[in-house]
Amino acid sequence: MNIFFAKKLLRLAWQALLSNPLRSFLTTLGIIIGSMTIIIVIALGEGAKRDIEKQYSSMSVKTIIINAPSTSEGEKSKLNIEDVDLLIQLPSVSMAVPQLSGRVEMQSESQSSNLAVLGSTPQIQKLINLELVSGRFFNEQDDENKAKIVVVGAIVAEELFGSKTADVIGKTILIGKKEFEIVGLLKYKGASVGPTAVDDSIFAPYLTTYRYILGSNGKFNINMEAKSVELIKQATEDITNVLKISHNIKPGMSDDFRIRDMGTTVSSAINSSRTMQILLSLVGIIVLLVGGIGIMNIMYVTVTERTKEIGVRKAIGAQEEFILFQFLFEAFILSFVGYLSGFLLSFFVIWLLNIFSVSVVMVWWSYILSLIVTMGIGVFFGYSPAKKAASLLPIDALRYE
Amino acid sequence: MKKKLIELKSITKSYFIGKEKFDILKGINLRLDEGDFVAIMGPSGSGKSTLLNIIGCLDTPTKGSYFLQNKDISGFTNKQLAIVRNESIGFIFQNFNLIGSLTVLQNVTLPAFYKGQEDDKRAKELLKKVKLEERYSFKPNELSGGQKQRVAIARSLMNNPSLILADEPTGALDSKTGKEIMDIIISLNKKENKTIVMVTHDESIALLAHKIIRLKDGFII
Repeated sequence: MNIFFAKKLLRLAWQALLSNPLRSFLTTLGIIIGSMTIIIVIALGEGAKRDIEKQYSSMSVKTIIINAPSTSEGEKSKLNIEDVDLLIQLPSVSMAVPQLSGRVEMQSESQSSNLAVLGSTPQIQKLINLELVSGRFFNEQDDENKAKIVVVGAIVAEELFGSKTADVIGKTILIGKKEFEIVGLLKYKGASVGPTAVDDSIFAPYLTTYRYILGSNGKFNINMEAKSVELIKQATEDITNVLKISHNIKPGMSDDFRIRDMGTTVSSAINSSRTMQILLSLVGIIVLLVGGIGIMNIMYVTVTERTKEIGVRKAIGAQEEFILFQFLFEAFILSFVGYLSGFLLSFFVIWLLNIFSVSVVMVWWSYILSLIVTMGIGVFFGYSPAKKAASLLPIDALRYE
Repeated sequence: MKKKLIELKSITKSYFIGKEKFDILKGINLRLDEGDFVAIMGPSGSGKSTLLNIIGCLDTPTKGSYFLQNKDISGFTNKQLAIVRNESIGFIFQNFNLIGSLTVLQNVTLPAFYKGQEDDKRAKELLKKVKLEERYSFKPNELSGGQKQRVAIARSLMNNPSLILADEPTGALDSKTGKEIMDIIISLNKKENKTIVMVTHDESIALLAHKIIRLKDGFII
């Protein structure tokens, strides 16, 4: 087999496929869908992964969040602001910040909107990397004084004052009947930080939030940071022990608090999106296998239909490998054209998904993977009919009617 | 002294249908020289087609040896046999056996293609010789029976083989067209010294050959 034969036989195979375009198209349909599925599934998986990474990117893996699980018995968690003072003393913990959050109706002079409020201590700024565009963040004094001041996220500025970068410093927001002065505007993040939607929130001192805005209606949790990555596990254990004693939880009782560390949360989120991606890729491979069986099926029909032609070719001197490659190239072309169509279609589908703001990220290796799997399957399933054609005895093939 | 082209020694051919054995050829000895023109005749079932297929390397004998151009080809592999068919033998069939998806010209060049060559010039010359110039790009189904057989003859000559095998070459043609085809075959023998082995059941066609080999029940009589 040399280039001369390869070129000629490829053209021969191409002509044979073109002589029955509808059949060729239907044969390759499974391959088109299968190869497209693999590309899209990988793009979806990468999109999900990127979303997760973006969401947690500005959050340290050392972050540990304690919240009160919603209990079915209506028993209230004892998790409260006093736990923060206990936990900050732990040697494995570098930071402990209370968070009181909820949604409230708030107004500017011209607009009103239902937005998130987050009450915390000044350390929250460092803990979740809040960057200011203008003004300042609240400080310890503000908290002690229950000062009626807030720092607003970019979306809040947009909703209430018309622009993400509006000059809001010194303006007031009305929550209930109380006025709060804006002292700072946060930079637009475009993604939430862990569970906190920074852009949609106003940040206020903890005591201010408790006293004037949310009271006991807010959701309370504690954000902490372990001193180092190695100490995350130690910190989790220490926190559990401290809270069990402080909440007076006896052995056998279930905890009234839940501890999550970010490292584990992020990796389990990425793992589950990875699992999903693998499962869906399997679906793509199964579609390809079915497509491959379709190719094999039609190739057998073709070989049977063209038995006489094979006989003639052999009679005038075609060697077995020429017949083998003639038919193998048909399977090869069907797979390759199927792959190319699937490849092009995947752009269209991904464009559609983008319109519906599903996050997808095209990755180059998905094309290679899809190509390898598709060609492998096509040629694998094409081999057996091609081999059958090649090993026909010339006299039997010639006599075939 | 003529040059020996083919020698068959004690060729037998048996088929099994189920467990029953059928002997089609029961010991054929035959020698053909270059430039011979023989007709093989016999009633159906006498083994004449089987003999032609064995001579043409399309079928292999059960026993016996076959020398072609002084080479014992009985033990040849499939690949070697394909090369022999390609380079040393030209086939003309009763039902033409052209490939319908290819043009006239492509059909004629096919033997050269399987030899690894591209020679449209020679194919065109051959088509001119059988008076089919201007039909290069026709498909076989656009041709009459006589024209198809002339394409087949051009194809059989493509690699300039010394042996031409014709299996009832006029069987599917009317007598006038059949005569035209026979004229071409005769001239191949006369002018180009091709050795021709022809199977026919038409006595008047067989008489055109130099020699008639009659087969009956697997023997030459």
